[in-house]
Parts: sequence; structure tokens; C-alpha cells
Amino acid sequence: MNSAAASPIESVLRDELARADRALSGIAPVLGHVLVGSGHSLVNDAVVARVRGMLNDVSRQLVARLSEPVGGEEAFSAPLAAKVAEQLAQDTPMLSYLHALAMEGLLTEKLDRRAAIDPVLSPLFQELIASQDALTGELAMQALTAQARFTQAQRRMQLPLLDLSPAALERALRIWVRATPVESEASATGQMRELKGEYDEAQSRTGLIARLVSSMRGGVVAALELEHAGFALFVSAFAQQSGQSRERAILACHEQQSTRLAVGLRAANLKTSAIERQFLSLDIPIELPRDLEALAPDVAAAMLQDGSFGSAARKEAQ
Amino acid sequence: MERSTKPPTARGLTDGRDRLVTADDPLADLQKRCGGTLPGTLAVPELLEIVQQGRRMGLKISREFSAFDGDTLVSGFVRVHPLGLDEGEGCEVLIENWESRAAPEPNTRSVAQRLDMIDRACAEVVGRLDADQRVQIIQTSAADTVSFERVVAQKPNSVWSDHVTLEGMAPNRALHWRLLDGARCRIEGSNRPWRVRLLPIGGQSAAPRGFEMFLVADYPLNPQEAAPEEPDVELDHTRLIGAALTPVLKQPIARVIANAETIRARLAGPLRAEYSHYAGNIASAGQLLNGLLDDLADLEVVEAESFTTAREPVDLADAAQRAAGILGVRAQAKSIELVIGPSESVPQATGEFRRVLQILINLIGNAIAYSPENSVVTASFSHSSSEETLSVSVSDEGPGIDEEQVARVFDKYERLGRENDGGSGLGLYISSRLAQAMNGALAVANPGEEGATFRLTLPVYSEE
Repeated sequence: MNSAAASPIESVLRDELARADRALSGIAPVLGHVLVGSGHSLVNDAVVARVRGMLNDVSRQLVARLSEPVGGEEAFSAPLAAKVAEQLAQDTPMLSYLHALAMEGLLTEKLDRRAAIDPVLSPLFQELIASQDALTGELAMQALTAQARFTQAQRRMQLPLLDLSPAALERALRIWVRATPVESEASATGQMRELKGEYDEAQSRTGLIARLVSSMRGGVVAALELEHAGFALFVSAFAQQSGQSRERAILACHEQQSTRLAVGLRAANLKTSAIERQFLSLDIPIELPRDLEALAPDVAAAMLQDGSFGSAARKEAQ
Repeated sequence: MERSTKPPTARGLTDGRDRLVTADDPLADLQKRCGGTLPGTLAVPELLEIVQQGRRMGLKISREFSAFDGDTLVSGFVRVHPLGLDEGEGCEVLIENWESRAAPEPNTRSVAQRLDMIDRACAEVVGRLDADQRVQIIQTSAADTVSFERVVAQKPNSVWSDHVTLEGMAPNRALHWRLLDGARCRIEGSNRPWRVRLLPIGGQSAAPRGFEMFLVADYPLNPQEAAPEEPDVELDHTRLIGAALTPVLKQPIARVIANAETIRARLAGPLRAEYSHYAGNIASAGQLLNGLLDDLADLEVVEAESFTTAREPVDLADAAQRAAGILGVRAQAKSIELVIGPSESVPQATGEFRRVLQILINLIGNAIAYSPENSVVTASFSHSSSEETLSVSVSDEGPGIDEEQVARVFDKYERLGRENDGGSGLGLYISSRLAQAMNGALAVANPGEEGATFRLTLPVYSEE
């Protein structure tokens, strides 16, 4: 039987059943993960709440742009925002991205609480702002502002659109335009073009921090000292020096991914003692293998790229 | 303390097909060192990737990038700004924190390991030898190694070096593997030069249990080499001349001509008449060579798939007048009169003026060359309102072109039996291709008659 012949009620019910199937199929892996993970899991209530909050915030911002030309809050369509949020939630790359950001937020808080590492103004940030090079100082100031904005937004479980990664923004825009009803499609397409014009990765939080790290050149090793650099700078420098995506680098700092952190820091050419210090700051109990330094940085970097995770990370980054 | 102020940024512009169009010095330099040209497709892989990505997403993106240009490691932070349709669909590329530093000295052991890995991956003949270098297994993967594999397989347990011709070494089966590793050789059935790799198996290199043997070719098998029965030399050959040699040859030839002219005119002092005459010959031979190069460069242009002409109104009579003006001296030398026929009430044609002029110079030039002295070359115009075409016919009083020749006259390199006048045999071929590119045609109007008439037909200009 083809779908064209199906009655409306039939197709509605089919959709509902498919949705229910998806919900069921997702249970086992998540449950397995939560049960197996001892102590702090990569997925817990706090992470879920933050991801959901950011999903809703992103879709709210997108839908609000549609109503802007009309003006007034009345025009804002809450049902459409909910629909967009739901579809964003089904997009795996989007979820992975937001999960990493939620983890960044949580780890930043944890470091603040346990190791008194400032979520915003780290000693390295202060040094960079006071840099003799005016451009670096200005860049550091911009990055600092963006980082303050991020920390605040994380507390509210929000995420500004222009701070999304290009890949995430593109996916969100595509999902949004697809979910928009036909009558506002033209408006949505126009808004999409406008948003794309406004967006500049180099001015986003992660873009600014990456530029800052890049401008440090040889001094980048200072940013690989968590206590000195603060989590945001540390993660960007770590990602850059180990050739991983920033999202992957954040997750490496979770205690369940400690091997990735050790190998990654080796890829960034850190000595065992320095690697140990980062583990200590992150409060991850681990005994590092004695001859870790025998692992050549390029071999370590290659190990990170191997395997399904590495290739998935590369695909995500695109 | 001032920091050293290097150029903090480098800028470049790419087009809709990711070709770097303009670039600041450091970027242009990197592009060339990475094997690219300017303008030309971005040759720095990481930059190409990010530019493609930015263009596809239509987003301003930015990322750390690094590249190795052969000597130095270049790194920087690249920002890509995709440009709109009206700005050429390309990207503005901005590189901040440009830094180049010497590549780290790799340790020899890891370099050797890497080279082994590369050879392993590139080898098209792979074998396993026992401790006495006898072949146990051999596998090949190229079209020109099939017969070699067959020969070796027919003689199981033979020493591998019996089947190859080692260069610069006396055939000697007792050679130590270290001497053979890296040797160059030839194998049956292949024209390619090969390099031997022998890697010992088993921990001790003093007494290996066996060897991995690889034969690595110097270059990949060219599909043309695999199928030698249909060589496509013609195209390659013109491309070589047109693109590579023309600019290089033009200048020396121009100098030869200029110097020969100086001698011929006795500008540098008195000279015996026959030497002046020889110099005249050198000058005219140089002119011919020059024309030939122009033809070959044109040939390459008209044969390119992307070749198009502009669509503009062209006054055929004006073009013919100018062509006649350019060739006036040559006509006078043979006392030939150039008559440009009446052209009133002829509308304008569609085409590219430059190209029409090129065709007419070719046609009138040919007419002058093949006409007897004291004759007339005529250009006349006609308008067919039914077919909406215009034509210009160039007639001479020389020997005509018979039916059999008509079929060949527009072929490439066709000289119709005139071997010694220095022509390239490309002029009419190029003209005819140009006419076709302008939706027109070039034909012989009076096959078999005395005095050749060539007719160029073009569509009437209309504003669409």
C-alpha cells in the first residue's frame, strides 16, 4: 500500500508510532551508559538539563527572528519553537556539540569549586590583556568578554546563536528552515541569509580564544597549564596542539576519558610531570604509565586520529 | 622592548572554483612553494579545505592552519569570508599570526621508518623472500608487471635478482641484501624504472629469517603507456608549445629578428650585399617562427573546452578595412590591389570584433600569399535576410581550390602541398574554429573554380 492512499489518520498514527519506536530504541544505550559509569557519568541530570536548555534557547532565538519583522511578542510562535527544538534534539551532531558545551560548563564550575580556577579571568588572561602587543591585548579583552558571556549563559542554560560553531549553526539553520511553515518560508530564508551574514566564527567565543591561542605562538605551552590558563583557554590550546576538535578535547577532560587526555597531552608534547599536574587539577585519580614519554608526540597524535572516534570527530568538525 | 613586527596578516582572494586569484606576498609565495600557480587552485591542502567549507556553508569561518612548504613550517590563523554571487562567489582569505619557522629536525630513525612505510604503500610488486633471497611469494598490481609476475611464478624458489636487470651492478647472486636495498632495476614488460627495497624480517638484521621485497616504480603507470596503440600526442604537444614554450621563445626570437634587421639594413656599418641578404633571410625565418608560435598559442586557446567568444555587434566592412590596412604593405610588395566592396545597407553581425579581424587577416593574408603579382584581392559583403546571416567573401586570382582539397583545407596542419613557404597549416583551422565559436561558419565558396574565394558567415546582430 502506498502512502498516498493512506488516510490522514493512518499517517498521523504511523508517525506517532515511529516516534515511539525511536524513543524506545534510545533507552538501552543511555541506560547502559548511566549504569556502567561509576561515579560521575558523561550523561547525568545536570548535563541533560543543560543540553535541553540550550536546545530550547537556540530554537527560541531562531523562531524569534521570524517574528522580528512583524514586531511584538505576539507574533512569536511557541509551538514552532517547540517543534524546532524537538527536531534539533534528533540531530546527533547537534546533540554531541551541545553535550560538549554542557560538559565545558560543568567542568568549569567544578574547577572553580575544587581548585579555585577562575571560570573567566585566569592569570594567563590577565597576562595577555596586559600584553605589550596592543592587538593581542585587545583580542584577549574581547575573548574575556565572550567568556564571561558564556559562563553567565551556561548558568541560565542558554547559548547565543552567534557563539555556535559554524557546523552547528548551519545544521540549526537547515533544521529551522525545514520546520518553518510554508507561509513564512520566504521570511525564514531571508533571515537565514541575514544571520549568515552577521556570523563570523572569528568573533565567536571559541573563535576569539582560538585566535588568542594562535597569537601566543611558541608561548602556547603556558596555556597548557590548566591552573594558569583556566579551562576555556586550556581546552582550546589542548585541542589545537593535539589536533583534535575542541569538543573532543573538552570530553577528554572528563574522568572517564582519562586515557584520551593522557595521550592528547603527550601529542601536545607535554612531559609526564606536566601531564600529572593537569590530572591533579582536574581531580582525576590516575597512575600514569611510567614510560609515557617514550610515546612520540606525532605517534600520539596519530593514535587520536585513528579509530572510529577520531574519524567521527573529523566529520563532526566539517 | 619592541616586539619584532612581522607582517601580522596576509590576504588573498579566491574565486568560485577555489582558485587563488590574488594574494599578498607570503601567501603567494606559499602557494607557489606548495606547487600551485597564481592564479590557480589553492595548493595548500588545509587552506583549500577550509575555503571549500566556508563557501559551501556560506559562513565566515576561521581555524588554525599549518603547512609545510618543503623547508619551513608555516602556521597561522585563517579567517575565510565567503563573498556573494555578485562578487564572484569566491572567498576572502585572511591569515593572522603568520609564522614560519624551520621544520624540526626529524630523527633519522623515524625518517627511515616513514620511508619504509611509504615504499610499502607504493610498491606495485610485493614479495616475500627466504633467507637466501629466493622468492616464496610474489604479488603484483600494475598492468605492466603482469608478465614479470608470470616469469617469476614459473620458476619457484629462484633468486629474485635473476629476474630483473640491476642497473650499475654486475649480475651476481651472492650480493648482500644491504647492497641490493635501494638499487635500481628494470623488469620485463615494463618501461618504467624501478627501485628495489629489501627489508629484513626477524629481529636480527645480521641474520634475517627472510625479506620483504618491494619494487617501487619511479612514477605511476600512465594510462597512455598501458595502451600505447592510441597515443594522444597531438594535444599534449600543442599544449606544451602554447602554454610553456611560447612565452619563453618569444623574446629570444624577437631579439634574433631585431638584430638580423639591423644587419640587413647595414645600420651597424657597411657590409657586403650577400651578407645583408643572408641577414634578411634570418629575419624572415624568425618572423615565420614567430607567427608559428602565435598560431600554436591560438590553437591551444580555441581547442580549450572553456573557449567562448563575446557577443557584440561587429561591422564586417570596418573589420575588412582594418585588415586590409594592416596587410597593405605586404600587398604593395607584390603590387596587389586590395578592393573592399560596397557595404551599404549591410546590418551588423554578431561576434567578437577582435576574432573577426583575426579571421579576415588570415583570409586576406592567404589571398595575398597565393595570388600572382599585379592581381586583385577582393572582399565583398552579402546579407541573407531569410537566414538572418551576413557574410564576407575574400577572393583572389591565384590557383583555385578543387573539390578534393576543399575537404581538407580546414584540417589542422593541412598545407595543401605547400611545404616550403613557412606556414604552419594552422591558420585556416584556427579561423574556422573561431567562426564556429561565434555561431558562424567558414567555407570555400567556389570549389573547383580558378581563384579561391573563402566566405565567412556570421549571424545578424539582434538585441535579445
